[in-house]
Amino acid sequence: MAVSLIGQVDLMVEDNILVWKFNRGSKDALRRIYEKFKDDLLGLAITLLRDRSLAEDVVHDVFVSFAGTVGSFHLSGTLKGYLSTCVANSARDRNRLRSPRLTGPDVVETACCDSDGPIENAIGIEESGELQDLLARLPYEQREIIVLHLHHDMRFREIAKALGISINTVQSRYRYGLDKLRSIMNSVVTK
Amino acid sequence: MRPKENMEEFVKIRKPDVTTSREMDKRTMDDSLAAMEQTMRAKSADHKPSTARIITPSRMIKLTAAAAVVIAGISFYVHQGPGEQNDTIIVAEALESPSEIMTMKSLKIAYHRGGVEAIENQCEKALKILGPQPASISTAELFNGSQS
Repeated sequence: MAVSLIGQVDLMVEDNILVWKFNRGSKDALRRIYEKFKDDLLGLAITLLRDRSLAEDVVHDVFVSFAGTVGSFHLSGTLKGYLSTCVANSARDRNRLRSPRLTGPDVVETACCDSDGPIENAIGIEESGELQDLLARLPYEQREIIVLHLHHDMRFREIAKALGISINTVQSRYRYGLDKLRSIMNSVVTK
Repeated sequence: MRPKENMEEFVKIRKPDVTTSREMDKRTMDDSLAAMEQTMRAKSADHKPSTARIITPSRMIKLTAAAAVVIAGISFYVHQGPGEQNDTIIVAEALESPSEIMTMKSLKIAYHRGGVEAIENQCEKALKILGPQPASISTAELFNGSQS
C-alpha cells in the first residue's frame, strides 16, 4: 500500500515536471507525455467508440489541442486523468455525430452469436478477454464511467467533475453498468 | 451470479492492450508540435516588447536614462529660461555705443529673447554708457551726441 502511494506520488511529480517543461516550450516534454499515455488513451477511445480509426482521430485531436495550450496549461489533478477526460469527452462528441447503425451493440451481438453455444460463447468471452464486446452492449454513459474508473483509475469525484454531472449520477451509472454486465454474462451462460 | 467485486476485477484485469501505429505516432506528433509552435509564435507576437523596452531592458539602464533626461531638462531650463535676460545684457555689452544698442535690430533681438523687460534693460544699459545728460536734450541729439 505504502509502495503504491509512493509510486503514485513519483508519477505525479514526474507529470508536474513534464508539464512545467512543456509550458516552457520543451518539445521533448510533449513527446514524452505522448509516449507515456498514448496506448492507454487509444485503448480508452477504442473501448468507447468500437472503431480504431475514429479512436485514433480522437487521440490525435486531443494531443493537438493539448499542444496548443503550451505556456498556459494548468494541471489541477493527474495528467492521465486530464487526458483521459479529454478523450472521453471527444469520444462522446464523435459518438453523437456518427450513425447509430455503426455503434457497438449490434456489431457485438452478431459476433457473440456466431459461436457454437452459449456456454462456449461465455467461456470464450472470458478466456479471450473480449471485454470490449461486453462493454459495447452497455449504454455509452455507463460504459464511459466503468472504463474511466476501472481502467484509468479515476475516482468517482474526478469523473463527476470532468463530465459535469453529480457524483450520485456517476455512482448510479457505474452500479447499473456493472449489474447489466453481470446480467449479460448470466444470460449468455443460461441460454 | 458474480459478486460486484468479482465483476470489477473481471473488468479491471481485461484492460485492452493496444498500441498505437507508427503512422499515427508520426501524424500526431507532427501536428502537435506544429500546434505548439503556432501557439508559441502567437504568444511571442502578443508580448512583443516596445522600442523603449528593447532599449531599456534592465532597471539600471532605465534609471540612468531617466536621470539623463532630467539633467538635460534642467540644463535646457538653465540656459533658455532665466538666461534670456543675461543674453540681452550680453547683446547690449557686445555693442560698442548706445546708438548701436538702441537700433531696431538690437531691440528686436532683445524683445525676442526677453520681451519688454529685456528692452528696458537694454535702454538702461545705453543710458549708463552715456552718463548723465541734461533733461532738455532730445533722443536724436542724445544718441547723435554720443556718437560724436
